[in-house]
Amino acid sequence: MFELTAQPIDGAALSARLRAPEAGALTIFEGRVRNHHLGQPVTQLEYEAFDEMAIREGEAIVGEAESMYPGAQVLCVHRTGTLQVGDVAVWIGVASAHRQAGFAACRHLIEELKLRLPIWKKEHHPDGAAEWVNCSVEATARTAGDDLHSRQSALPEVGAAGQAKLAKARVLLVGVGGLGCPAALYLVGAGIGRLTLVDGGKVERSNLHRQILYTTAETGSPKVLAAAARLRLHNPAVQISIHDGELTAGNARTLVAGHDVVLDGTDNFASRFLIHDACLALGVPLVQAAVHRFEGTLDVFQRGEGGCLHCLWLGRDPAALDTAGNCAGGPVFGPAVGVLGVMQAAEAIKQLLGLGGDAARQTRLVNLLDGSQLSVGRSARPDCPVCARVDRLREMPAPTMTDRGLFVDAAGVRALGASAKVIYLTEPGEQPPAGLPGIAAADLAALRELALQGPLVLACRYGVRSAALARMLRAEGMEAIFAESPKS
Amino acid sequence: MSSSRQIQVRFFAILREQAGCATVAVETGAPDATALYAELQERFPGLTFPVTLLRVSINENYAELTAPLAPGDRVVFIPPVAGG
Repeated sequence: MFELTAQPIDGAALSARLRAPEAGALTIFEGRVRNHHLGQPVTQLEYEAFDEMAIREGEAIVGEAESMYPGAQVLCVHRTGTLQVGDVAVWIGVASAHRQAGFAACRHLIEELKLRLPIWKKEHHPDGAAEWVNCSVEATARTAGDDLHSRQSALPEVGAAGQAKLAKARVLLVGVGGLGCPAALYLVGAGIGRLTLVDGGKVERSNLHRQILYTTAETGSPKVLAAAARLRLHNPAVQISIHDGELTAGNARTLVAGHDVVLDGTDNFASRFLIHDACLALGVPLVQAAVHRFEGTLDVFQRGEGGCLHCLWLGRDPAALDTAGNCAGGPVFGPAVGVLGVMQAAEAIKQLLGLGGDAARQTRLVNLLDGSQLSVGRSARPDCPVCARVDRLREMPAPTMTDRGLFVDAAGVRALGASAKVIYLTEPGEQPPAGLPGIAAADLAALRELALQGPLVLACRYGVRSAALARMLRAEGMEAIFAESPKS
Repeated sequence: MSSSRQIQVRFFAILREQAGCATVAVETGAPDATALYAELQERFPGLTFPVTLLRVSINENYAELTAPLAPGDRVVFIPPVAGG
Protein backbone atom coordinates (compact mmCIF):
# COMPACT_ATOMS: atom_id res chain seq x y z
CA MET A 1 0.00 0.00 0.00
CA PHE A 2 1.20 3.53 -0.80
CA GLU A 3 -0.06 6.71 0.90
CA LEU A 4 0.66 10.43 0.90
CA THR A 5 0.19 12.38 4.12
CA ALA A 6 0.48 16.02 5.21
CA GLN A 7 0.69 14.90 8.87
CA PRO A 8 3.92 13.99 10.73
CA ILE A 9 4.76 10.34 10.18
CA ASP A 10 4.16 8.12 13.24
CA GLY A 11 6.46 5.13 12.73
CA ALA A 12 5.05 3.13 15.64
CA ALA A 13 1.49 3.38 14.34
CA LEU A 14 2.60 2.38 10.82
CA SER A 15 4.61 -0.58 12.17
CA ALA A 16 1.52 -1.81 14.00
CA ARG A 17 -0.36 -1.97 10.68
CA LEU A 18 2.21 -4.47 9.37
CA ARG A 19 1.82 -6.94 12.21
CA ALA A 20 1.28 -10.45 10.75
CA PRO A 21 1.80 -13.82 12.42
CA GLU A 22 3.59 -15.28 9.39
CA ALA A 23 6.03 -12.35 9.17
CA GLY A 24 9.23 -13.05 11.07
CA ALA A 25 10.82 -9.82 9.90
CA LEU A 26 9.74 -6.21 9.80
CA THR A 27 12.28 -4.09 7.92
CA ILE A 28 11.87 -0.33 8.10
CA PHE A 29 13.52 2.46 6.17
CA GLU A 30 13.02 6.09 7.21
CA GLY A 31 14.16 8.85 4.88
CA ARG A 32 14.78 12.03 6.91
CA VAL A 33 15.40 15.67 6.10
CA ARG A 34 19.11 16.39 6.44
CA ASN A 35 20.80 19.74 6.86
CA HIS A 36 22.72 19.70 3.58
CA HIS A 37 22.17 18.76 -0.06
CA LEU A 38 24.80 18.65 -2.84
CA GLY A 39 27.15 20.68 -0.68
CA GLN A 40 24.58 23.36 0.27
CA PRO A 41 23.23 23.81 3.80
CA VAL A 42 19.46 23.20 4.14
CA THR A 43 17.21 24.49 6.95
CA GLN A 44 13.82 23.11 5.94
CA LEU A 45 12.06 21.39 3.04
CA GLU A 46 8.67 21.65 1.41
CA TYR A 47 7.36 18.61 -0.47
CA GLU A 48 4.76 19.00 -3.17
CA ALA A 49 3.21 16.13 -5.11
CA PHE A 50 0.75 15.72 -7.95
CA ASP A 51 -1.37 13.62 -5.61
CA GLU A 52 -3.17 11.41 -8.09
CA MET A 53 -0.06 10.76 -10.18
CA ALA A 54 2.14 10.19 -7.16
CA ILE A 55 -0.29 7.71 -5.61
CA ARG A 56 -0.68 5.81 -8.89
CA GLU A 57 3.09 5.59 -9.42
CA GLY A 58 3.69 4.76 -5.75
CA GLU A 59 1.17 1.94 -5.89
CA ALA A 60 2.78 0.62 -9.07
CA ILE A 61 6.19 0.60 -7.35
CA VAL A 62 4.77 -1.18 -4.30
CA GLY A 63 3.00 -3.70 -6.55
CA GLU A 64 6.25 -4.44 -8.38
CA ALA A 65 8.10 -4.94 -5.10
CA GLU A 66 5.41 -7.31 -3.83
CA SER A 67 5.67 -9.37 -7.02
CA MET A 68 9.48 -9.36 -6.77
CA TYR A 69 9.40 -10.55 -3.18
CA PRO A 70 6.46 -12.97 -3.01
CA GLY A 71 4.78 -12.97 0.37
CA ALA A 72 6.20 -9.59 1.41
CA GLN A 73 3.69 -7.02 2.62
CA VAL A 74 4.65 -3.41 1.91
CA LEU A 75 3.52 -0.09 3.38
CA CYS A 76 5.02 3.15 2.04
CA VAL A 77 4.08 6.62 3.23
CA HIS A 78 5.46 9.86 1.76
CA ARG A 79 5.10 13.26 3.40
CA THR A 80 3.93 16.43 1.74
CA GLY A 81 4.06 19.94 3.19
CA THR A 82 6.78 21.66 5.24
CA LEU A 83 9.35 19.55 7.10
CA GLN A 84 12.17 20.51 9.47
CA VAL A 85 15.64 18.95 9.63
CA GLY A 86 15.29 15.50 11.22
CA ASP A 87 11.62 14.99 10.23
CA VAL A 88 10.67 11.75 8.45
CA ALA A 89 9.95 12.44 4.76
CA VAL A 90 9.35 8.87 3.61
CA TRP A 91 8.59 5.72 5.62
CA ILE A 92 8.88 2.23 4.15
CA GLY A 93 7.97 -0.91 6.05
CA VAL A 94 8.22 -4.47 4.70
CA ALA A 95 6.77 -7.40 6.63
CA SER A 96 8.23 -10.66 5.32
CA ALA A 97 8.76 -14.23 6.43
CA HIS A 98 12.55 -13.79 6.47
CA ARG A 99 15.00 -10.89 6.67
CA GLN A 100 16.57 -11.32 3.21
CA ALA A 101 13.43 -10.30 1.32
CA GLY A 102 12.79 -7.48 3.82
CA PHE A 103 16.15 -5.78 3.39
CA ALA A 104 16.16 -6.30 -0.36
CA ALA A 105 12.61 -5.00 -0.81
CA CYS A 106 13.27 -1.91 1.35
CA ARG A 107 16.35 -1.08 -0.66
CA HIS A 108 14.51 -1.59 -3.94
CA LEU A 109 11.53 0.51 -2.85
CA ILE A 110 13.49 3.60 -1.78
CA GLU A 111 15.57 3.56 -4.97
CA GLU A 112 12.50 3.27 -7.20
CA LEU A 113 10.50 5.86 -5.22
CA LYS A 114 13.34 8.36 -5.50
CA LEU A 115 13.71 7.76 -9.22
CA ARG A 116 10.08 7.65 -10.26
CA LEU A 117 7.78 9.42 -7.81
CA PRO A 118 6.49 12.75 -9.19
CA ILE A 119 7.31 14.64 -5.99
CA TRP A 120 9.25 17.89 -5.85
CA LYS A 121 10.98 19.41 -2.88
CA LYS A 122 11.73 23.05 -2.20
CA GLU A 123 14.99 23.43 -0.36
CA HIS A 124 15.33 26.41 1.97
CA HIS A 125 18.89 27.58 2.56
CA PRO A 126 20.19 29.60 5.57
CA ASP A 127 20.58 32.74 3.41
CA GLY A 128 16.83 32.73 2.76
CA ALA A 129 17.18 31.43 -0.80
CA ALA A 130 15.06 28.47 -1.87
CA GLU A 131 14.81 26.19 -4.94
CA TRP A 132 12.55 23.42 -6.21
CA VAL A 133 14.23 20.12 -7.13
CA ASN A 134 12.79 16.83 -8.25
CA CYS A 135 13.59 13.99 -5.88
CA SER A 136 15.21 12.03 -8.70
CA VAL A 137 17.87 14.71 -9.12
CA GLU A 138 20.18 12.99 -6.67
CA ALA A 139 20.14 9.81 -8.71
CA THR A 140 21.22 11.58 -11.88
CA ALA A 141 23.48 14.14 -10.18
CA ARG A 142 25.64 11.24 -9.07
CA THR A 143 26.52 10.49 -12.66
CA ALA A 144 26.48 13.79 -14.54
CA GLY A 145 30.06 14.73 -15.25
CA ASP A 146 31.48 12.34 -12.66
CA ASP A 147 34.14 9.71 -13.24
CA LEU A 148 31.82 6.69 -13.57
CA HIS A 149 33.21 5.83 -17.02
CA SER A 150 36.57 7.63 -16.92
CA ARG A 151 38.78 4.53 -16.79
CA GLN A 152 36.99 3.29 -19.92
CA SER A 153 36.88 6.51 -21.94
CA ALA A 154 40.61 6.91 -21.23
CA LEU A 155 41.21 3.99 -23.61
CA PRO A 156 42.40 5.48 -26.91
CA GLU A 157 40.03 3.11 -28.74
CA VAL A 158 37.08 4.63 -26.84
CA GLY A 159 37.81 8.27 -26.00
CA ALA A 160 35.24 10.95 -25.34
CA ALA A 161 33.69 10.42 -28.77
CA GLY A 162 33.30 6.66 -28.20
CA GLN A 163 31.83 7.23 -24.77
CA ALA A 164 29.33 9.64 -26.27
CA LYS A 165 28.38 6.97 -28.83
CA LEU A 166 27.82 4.46 -26.04
CA ALA A 167 25.71 6.95 -24.10
CA LYS A 168 23.36 7.19 -27.10
CA ALA A 169 23.27 3.43 -27.81
CA ARG A 170 20.11 1.37 -27.41
CA VAL A 171 20.78 -2.29 -26.70
CA LEU A 172 18.30 -5.18 -26.54
CA LEU A 173 19.05 -8.22 -24.38
CA VAL A 174 16.78 -11.23 -24.85
CA GLY A 175 17.06 -13.69 -21.98
CA VAL A 176 18.36 -12.48 -18.62
CA GLY A 177 19.76 -15.83 -17.51
CA GLY A 178 23.25 -17.27 -17.24
CA LEU A 179 24.50 -15.39 -20.33
CA GLY A 180 22.34 -12.31 -19.93
CA CYS A 181 23.19 -11.50 -16.29
CA PRO A 182 26.92 -10.90 -16.75
CA ALA A 183 26.37 -9.36 -20.20
CA ALA A 184 23.90 -6.84 -18.73
CA LEU A 185 26.25 -5.86 -15.90
CA TYR A 186 29.07 -5.03 -18.30
CA LEU A 187 26.80 -3.20 -20.75
CA VAL A 188 25.37 -1.08 -17.97
CA GLY A 189 28.80 -0.56 -16.46
CA ALA A 190 30.01 0.69 -19.84
CA GLY A 191 27.39 3.44 -19.77
CA ILE A 192 25.19 2.59 -22.74
CA GLY A 193 22.15 4.82 -23.11
CA ARG A 194 19.34 2.32 -22.82
CA LEU A 195 19.12 -1.39 -22.14
CA THR A 196 15.90 -3.26 -22.88
CA LEU A 197 15.49 -6.57 -21.05
CA VAL A 198 13.18 -9.31 -22.38
CA ASP A 199 12.47 -12.40 -20.28
CA GLY A 200 9.24 -14.00 -19.07
CA GLY A 201 10.89 -16.19 -16.44
CA LYS A 202 11.11 -16.01 -12.70
CA VAL A 203 14.16 -16.19 -10.42
CA GLU A 204 14.82 -19.79 -9.36
CA ARG A 205 17.21 -20.97 -6.68
CA SER A 206 18.64 -23.69 -8.91
CA ASN A 207 19.77 -21.03 -11.41
CA LEU A 208 21.51 -18.69 -8.98
CA HIS A 209 24.91 -20.35 -9.39
CA ARG A 210 25.18 -18.62 -12.75
CA GLN A 211 22.46 -15.92 -12.81
CA ILE A 212 24.54 -13.45 -10.88
CA LEU A 213 22.17 -10.47 -10.94
CA TYR A 214 19.84 -12.19 -8.50
CA THR A 215 19.99 -13.26 -4.86
CA THR A 216 18.05 -15.84 -2.86
CA ALA A 217 15.88 -12.94 -1.65
CA GLU A 218 14.41 -12.57 -5.15
CA THR A 219 13.38 -16.20 -5.60
CA GLY A 220 10.04 -16.21 -7.41
CA SER A 221 10.44 -12.64 -8.68
CA PRO A 222 9.99 -11.87 -12.37
CA LYS A 223 13.59 -11.85 -13.63
CA VAL A 224 13.31 -8.58 -15.56
CA LEU A 225 12.10 -6.70 -12.45
CA ALA A 226 14.88 -8.01 -10.23
CA ALA A 227 17.48 -7.45 -12.97
CA ALA A 228 16.32 -3.89 -13.68
CA ALA A 229 16.47 -2.99 -9.99
CA ARG A 230 19.99 -4.37 -9.63
CA LEU A 231 21.22 -2.72 -12.83
CA ARG A 232 19.79 0.70 -11.90
CA LEU A 233 21.83 0.60 -8.70
CA HIS A 234 24.92 -0.30 -10.68
CA ASN A 235 24.65 2.67 -13.02
CA PRO A 236 21.74 5.10 -12.58
CA ALA A 237 22.74 6.88 -15.80
CA VAL A 238 21.50 3.95 -17.91
CA GLN A 239 17.82 3.81 -18.76
CA ILE A 240 16.50 0.28 -18.22
CA SER A 241 13.31 -0.83 -20.01
CA ILE A 242 11.68 -4.18 -19.42
CA HIS A 243 9.38 -6.61 -21.22
CA ASP A 244 8.13 -9.21 -18.73
CA GLY A 245 7.33 -11.90 -21.30
CA GLU A 246 8.92 -14.03 -23.98
CA LEU A 247 10.01 -12.88 -27.40
CA THR A 248 7.59 -14.49 -29.87
CA ALA A 249 7.04 -14.54 -33.60
CA GLY A 250 4.35 -11.93 -33.05
CA ASN A 251 6.49 -9.38 -31.21
CA ALA A 252 10.07 -10.13 -32.36
CA ARG A 253 10.39 -7.35 -34.89
CA THR A 254 8.63 -4.82 -32.67
CA LEU A 255 11.04 -5.60 -29.84
CA VAL A 256 14.15 -5.52 -32.05
CA ALA A 257 13.19 -2.31 -33.86
CA GLY A 258 14.87 0.82 -32.54
CA HIS A 259 17.91 -0.95 -31.11
CA ASP A 260 21.50 -0.57 -32.28
CA VAL A 261 22.63 -4.06 -31.29
CA VAL A 262 20.90 -7.18 -29.92
CA LEU A 263 22.27 -9.83 -27.55
CA ASP A 264 20.69 -13.28 -27.62
CA GLY A 265 20.97 -15.06 -24.29
CA THR A 266 18.08 -17.48 -24.78
CA ASP A 267 18.35 -21.24 -24.43
CA ASN A 268 16.62 -22.74 -27.47
CA PHE A 269 16.93 -22.69 -31.25
CA ALA A 270 13.33 -21.63 -31.84
CA SER A 271 14.00 -18.32 -30.05
CA ARG A 272 17.44 -18.02 -31.65
CA PHE A 273 16.00 -18.24 -35.17
CA LEU A 274 13.20 -15.78 -34.32
CA ILE A 275 15.62 -13.20 -32.91
CA HIS A 276 18.08 -13.77 -35.73
CA ASP A 277 15.46 -13.36 -38.45
CA ALA A 278 14.10 -10.17 -36.89
CA CYS A 279 17.63 -8.73 -36.65
CA LEU A 280 18.44 -9.75 -40.22
CA ALA A 281 15.21 -8.26 -41.56
CA LEU A 282 15.85 -4.96 -39.75
CA GLY A 283 19.63 -4.90 -40.32
CA VAL A 284 20.49 -4.86 -36.60
CA PRO A 285 23.73 -6.63 -35.58
CA LEU A 286 23.19 -9.66 -33.36
CA VAL A 287 25.59 -11.13 -30.79
CA GLN A 288 24.67 -14.70 -30.03
CA ALA A 289 26.18 -17.10 -27.51
CA ALA A 290 25.21 -20.62 -26.49
CA VAL A 291 26.58 -22.98 -23.89
CA HIS A 292 26.65 -26.72 -23.33
CA ARG A 293 28.01 -27.58 -19.87
CA PHE A 294 31.70 -26.45 -20.02
CA GLU A 295 31.74 -25.26 -23.64
CA GLY A 296 30.21 -22.47 -25.61
CA THR A 297 29.96 -20.76 -28.98
CA LEU A 298 29.96 -17.07 -29.82
CA ASP A 299 28.74 -15.61 -33.12
CA VAL A 300 28.19 -12.09 -34.33
CA PHE A 301 25.71 -11.86 -37.19
CA GLN A 302 25.67 -8.75 -39.30
CA ARG A 303 23.80 -8.45 -42.55
CA GLY A 304 26.17 -8.79 -45.50
CA GLU A 305 29.03 -10.33 -43.51
CA GLY A 306 29.96 -13.93 -42.84
CA GLY A 307 26.57 -15.38 -43.62
CA CYS A 308 23.64 -15.91 -41.32
CA LEU A 309 22.31 -18.52 -38.92
CA HIS A 310 20.51 -20.23 -41.82
CA CYS A 311 23.78 -20.49 -43.80
CA LEU A 312 25.28 -22.15 -40.77
CA TRP A 313 22.58 -24.78 -40.40
CA LEU A 314 21.33 -25.03 -43.98
CA GLY A 315 19.36 -28.19 -44.62
CA ARG A 316 18.98 -28.96 -40.92
CA ASP A 317 15.44 -28.80 -39.58
CA PRO A 318 15.31 -26.02 -36.92
CA ALA A 319 12.98 -28.16 -34.79
CA ALA A 320 15.46 -31.05 -34.87
CA LEU A 321 18.28 -28.65 -33.94
CA ASP A 322 16.08 -27.41 -31.13
CA THR A 323 15.59 -30.94 -29.85
CA ALA A 324 19.28 -31.79 -30.14
CA GLY A 325 20.74 -28.54 -28.85
CA ASN A 326 18.47 -27.66 -25.95
CA CYS A 327 19.81 -28.04 -22.47
CA ALA A 328 17.31 -26.04 -20.42
CA GLY A 329 17.13 -27.65 -17.02
CA GLY A 330 20.34 -29.59 -17.68
CA PRO A 331 23.64 -29.23 -15.87
CA VAL A 332 25.81 -26.22 -16.67
CA PHE A 333 29.19 -24.92 -15.47
CA GLY A 334 28.49 -21.43 -14.11
CA PRO A 335 31.73 -19.78 -15.26
CA ALA A 336 31.13 -21.09 -18.82
CA VAL A 337 27.96 -19.01 -19.29
CA GLY A 338 29.71 -16.23 -17.36
CA VAL A 339 32.66 -16.10 -19.77
CA LEU A 340 30.44 -16.34 -22.85
CA GLY A 341 28.05 -13.67 -21.50
CA VAL A 342 30.95 -11.30 -20.86
CA MET A 343 32.28 -12.02 -24.36
CA GLN A 344 28.85 -11.09 -25.71
CA ALA A 345 28.99 -7.77 -23.89
CA ALA A 346 32.49 -7.19 -25.27
CA GLU A 347 31.37 -7.86 -28.86
CA ALA A 348 28.26 -5.69 -28.45
CA ILE A 349 30.29 -2.76 -27.09
CA LYS A 350 32.83 -3.24 -29.90
CA GLN A 351 30.02 -3.18 -32.47
CA LEU A 352 28.78 0.12 -31.03
CA LEU A 353 32.31 1.59 -31.13
CA GLY A 354 33.09 0.31 -34.62
CA LEU A 355 35.75 -2.07 -33.27
CA GLY A 356 34.03 -5.28 -34.45
CA GLY A 357 36.86 -6.40 -36.74
CA ASP A 358 36.38 -9.94 -38.05
CA ALA A 359 33.88 -10.91 -35.37
CA ALA A 360 30.99 -11.24 -37.83
CA ARG A 361 32.96 -13.67 -40.02
CA GLN A 362 33.71 -16.38 -37.46
CA THR A 363 32.34 -18.65 -34.78
CA ARG A 364 34.36 -18.77 -31.60
CA LEU A 365 34.43 -22.09 -29.79
CA VAL A 366 35.35 -21.87 -26.12
CA ASN A 367 36.14 -24.84 -23.87
CA LEU A 368 36.46 -24.01 -20.16
CA LEU A 369 37.47 -27.57 -19.32
CA ASP A 370 40.74 -27.66 -21.27
CA GLY A 371 41.08 -23.89 -21.68
CA SER A 372 41.08 -24.02 -25.47
CA GLN A 373 39.65 -21.41 -27.82
CA LEU A 374 39.23 -21.78 -31.53
CA SER A 375 37.93 -19.41 -34.20
CA VAL A 376 36.21 -21.00 -37.17
CA GLY A 377 35.83 -18.87 -40.30
CA ARG A 378 32.25 -18.40 -41.45
CA SER A 379 31.07 -17.20 -44.83
CA ALA A 380 27.77 -16.56 -46.56
CA ARG A 381 26.37 -19.32 -48.73
CA PRO A 382 25.26 -18.06 -52.12
CA ASP A 383 22.44 -20.64 -52.07
CA CYS A 384 21.13 -19.53 -48.65
CA PRO A 385 17.36 -19.17 -49.00
CA VAL A 386 17.30 -16.44 -46.35
CA CYS A 387 20.25 -14.02 -46.31
CA ALA A 388 20.86 -14.30 -50.04
CA ARG A 389 17.32 -12.97 -50.44
CA VAL A 390 17.14 -10.68 -47.43
CA ASP A 391 14.94 -8.16 -49.23
CA ARG A 392 12.27 -10.82 -49.51
CA LEU A 393 12.66 -11.67 -45.83
CA ARG A 394 11.86 -8.10 -44.96
CA GLU A 395 8.58 -8.32 -46.86
CA MET A 396 7.65 -11.76 -45.57
CA PRO A 397 5.20 -11.86 -42.69
CA ALA A 398 6.85 -13.06 -39.49
CA PRO A 399 6.34 -16.80 -39.04
CA THR A 400 3.76 -17.84 -36.51
CA MET A 401 4.37 -20.36 -33.80
CA THR A 402 1.60 -22.81 -33.15
CA ASP A 403 1.90 -23.01 -29.40
CA ARG A 404 -1.83 -22.47 -28.84
CA GLY A 405 -3.06 -25.31 -26.65
CA LEU A 406 0.34 -27.01 -26.85
CA PHE A 407 0.70 -27.56 -23.13
CA VAL A 408 -1.68 -29.72 -21.12
CA ASP A 409 -1.78 -30.63 -17.44
CA ALA A 410 -3.25 -33.80 -15.89
CA ALA A 411 -6.83 -32.53 -16.26
CA GLY A 412 -6.09 -31.55 -19.85
CA VAL A 413 -4.88 -35.08 -20.59
CA ARG A 414 -8.12 -36.59 -19.20
CA ALA A 415 -10.12 -34.12 -21.31
CA LEU A 416 -8.45 -35.51 -24.44
CA GLY A 417 -10.37 -38.75 -23.91
CA ALA A 418 -9.55 -42.42 -23.51
CA SER A 419 -7.74 -42.73 -26.84
CA ALA A 420 -5.07 -40.18 -25.81
CA LYS A 421 -1.64 -41.62 -25.06
CA VAL A 422 0.99 -40.13 -22.76
CA ILE A 423 4.51 -41.05 -23.84
CA TYR A 424 7.66 -40.32 -21.84
CA LEU A 425 10.69 -39.38 -23.95
CA THR A 426 13.82 -41.02 -22.62
CA GLU A 427 17.44 -40.04 -22.94
CA PRO A 428 20.05 -42.75 -23.52
CA GLY A 429 20.25 -44.73 -20.28
CA GLU A 430 17.13 -43.14 -18.79
CA GLN A 431 14.09 -45.19 -17.70
CA PRO A 432 10.57 -43.74 -17.89
CA PRO A 433 8.78 -43.16 -14.55
CA ALA A 434 6.69 -46.11 -13.35
CA GLY A 435 3.41 -46.50 -15.19
CA LEU A 436 4.41 -44.40 -18.23
CA PRO A 437 5.38 -45.99 -21.54
CA GLY A 438 8.73 -44.64 -22.73
CA ILE A 439 10.23 -44.09 -26.13
CA ALA A 440 13.69 -42.83 -27.09
CA ALA A 441 13.57 -39.08 -27.80
CA ALA A 442 15.71 -39.66 -30.85
CA ASP A 443 13.32 -42.20 -32.39
CA LEU A 444 11.38 -39.78 -34.56
CA ALA A 445 9.97 -42.46 -36.83
CA ALA A 446 8.30 -44.25 -33.92
CA LEU A 447 6.95 -40.93 -32.59
CA ARG A 448 5.44 -40.02 -35.96
CA GLU A 449 3.78 -43.41 -36.14
CA LEU A 450 2.28 -42.98 -32.66
CA ALA A 451 1.14 -39.47 -33.54
CA LEU A 452 -0.95 -40.85 -36.40
CA GLN A 453 -2.85 -43.18 -34.07
CA GLY A 454 -4.64 -40.53 -31.98
CA PRO A 455 -4.04 -37.71 -29.50
CA LEU A 456 -0.48 -37.87 -28.18
CA VAL A 457 0.91 -36.15 -25.10
CA LEU A 458 4.70 -35.98 -24.82
CA ALA A 459 6.42 -35.82 -21.46
CA CYS A 460 10.08 -35.72 -20.47
CA ARG A 461 12.28 -35.01 -17.51
CA TYR A 462 12.32 -31.21 -17.74
CA GLY A 463 9.51 -30.54 -20.19
CA VAL A 464 11.78 -28.84 -22.73
CA ARG A 465 12.52 -31.65 -25.14
CA SER A 466 8.88 -32.80 -25.13
CA ALA A 467 7.73 -29.27 -26.01
CA ALA A 468 10.30 -29.00 -28.81
CA LEU A 469 9.30 -32.35 -30.30
CA ALA A 470 5.59 -31.53 -29.98
CA ARG A 471 6.22 -28.27 -31.86
CA MET A 472 8.15 -30.15 -34.51
CA LEU A 473 5.38 -32.70 -35.05
CA ARG A 474 2.80 -29.90 -35.19
CA ALA A 475 4.96 -28.12 -37.75
CA GLU A 476 4.82 -31.32 -39.80
CA GLY A 477 1.04 -30.95 -39.86
CA MET A 478 -0.01 -33.28 -37.03
CA GLU A 479 -2.68 -31.64 -34.96
CA ALA A 480 -3.47 -33.76 -31.92
CA ILE A 481 0.00 -33.35 -30.40
CA PHE A 482 0.49 -31.95 -26.94
CA ALA A 483 3.26 -31.55 -24.39
CA GLU A 484 3.01 -31.99 -20.67
CA SER A 485 3.20 -28.58 -18.98
CA PRO A 486 6.85 -27.83 -18.12
CA LYS A 487 7.82 -28.45 -14.50
CA SER A 488 8.18 -25.23 -12.58
CA MET B 1 39.64 -45.32 -51.90
CA SER B 2 42.23 -42.76 -50.82
CA SER B 3 45.28 -44.01 -48.97
CA SER B 4 45.57 -43.68 -45.21
CA ARG B 5 46.81 -40.35 -43.74
CA GLN B 6 46.77 -38.63 -40.39
CA ILE B 7 43.89 -36.28 -39.46
CA GLN B 8 43.65 -34.24 -36.23
CA VAL B 9 40.14 -34.46 -34.82
CA ARG B 10 38.53 -32.26 -32.17
CA PHE B 11 35.13 -32.97 -30.64
CA PHE B 12 33.03 -30.09 -29.32
CA ALA B 13 30.39 -30.03 -26.55
CA ILE B 14 28.14 -33.12 -26.46
CA LEU B 15 30.40 -34.92 -28.96
CA ARG B 16 33.35 -34.54 -26.58
CA GLU B 17 31.24 -36.09 -23.83
CA GLN B 18 30.04 -38.90 -26.04
CA ALA B 19 33.53 -39.69 -27.38
CA GLY B 20 35.14 -39.26 -23.96
CA CYS B 21 37.96 -37.06 -25.29
CA ALA B 22 38.39 -33.60 -26.80
CA THR B 23 41.07 -34.42 -29.35
CA VAL B 24 42.28 -37.50 -31.16
CA ALA B 25 44.73 -38.08 -34.03
CA VAL B 26 43.53 -40.75 -36.46
CA GLU B 27 45.06 -42.64 -39.37
CA THR B 28 42.26 -42.86 -41.86
CA GLY B 29 41.45 -43.40 -45.47
CA ALA B 30 38.07 -41.67 -45.10
CA PRO B 31 37.48 -39.46 -48.13
CA ASP B 32 35.36 -36.88 -46.32
CA ALA B 33 34.06 -35.80 -42.92
CA THR B 34 30.93 -37.95 -43.13
CA ALA B 35 33.01 -41.08 -43.65
CA LEU B 36 35.48 -39.99 -40.97
CA TYR B 37 32.61 -39.51 -38.49
CA ALA B 38 31.30 -42.99 -39.30
CA GLU B 39 34.76 -44.43 -38.56
CA LEU B 40 34.93 -42.48 -35.31
CA GLN B 41 31.50 -43.82 -34.33
CA GLU B 42 32.91 -47.33 -34.64
CA ARG B 43 35.93 -46.41 -32.55
CA PHE B 44 33.83 -44.54 -29.91
CA PRO B 45 30.56 -46.47 -29.49
CA GLY B 46 29.16 -43.65 -27.28
CA LEU B 47 29.31 -41.26 -30.25
CA THR B 48 25.65 -41.56 -31.26
CA PHE B 49 24.90 -37.95 -32.22
CA PRO B 50 23.41 -37.94 -35.75
CA VAL B 51 25.87 -36.72 -38.38
CA THR B 52 23.05 -34.97 -40.23
CA LEU B 53 22.79 -32.36 -37.46
CA LEU B 54 26.54 -31.61 -37.28
CA ARG B 55 28.67 -28.85 -38.67
CA VAL B 56 32.29 -29.50 -39.49
CA SER B 57 35.29 -27.20 -39.54
CA ILE B 58 38.33 -28.12 -41.65
CA ASN B 59 41.49 -26.14 -40.92
CA GLU B 60 39.57 -23.49 -38.99
CA ASN B 61 36.90 -22.86 -41.63
CA TYR B 62 33.41 -24.25 -41.85
CA ALA B 63 33.20 -26.86 -44.60
CA GLU B 64 30.68 -29.24 -46.14
CA LEU B 65 30.53 -32.71 -44.64
CA THR B 66 31.30 -33.95 -48.16
CA ALA B 67 34.41 -31.79 -48.65
CA PRO B 68 37.51 -33.97 -49.39
CA LEU B 69 40.04 -34.45 -46.58
CA ALA B 70 43.80 -33.99 -47.07
CA PRO B 71 46.76 -35.24 -45.02
CA GLY B 72 47.28 -33.25 -41.81
CA ASP B 73 43.82 -31.63 -41.90
CA ARG B 74 42.47 -30.35 -38.60
CA VAL B 75 38.82 -31.37 -38.32
CA VAL B 76 36.38 -30.14 -35.66
CA PHE B 77 32.94 -31.70 -35.32
CA ILE B 78 30.49 -29.10 -33.98
CA PRO B 79 26.98 -30.03 -32.78
CA PRO B 80 24.16 -27.50 -32.33
CA VAL B 81 24.43 -25.79 -28.93
CA ALA B 82 21.62 -23.65 -27.53
CA GLY B 83 21.95 -23.42 -23.75
CA GLY B 84 22.04 -20.13 -21.99
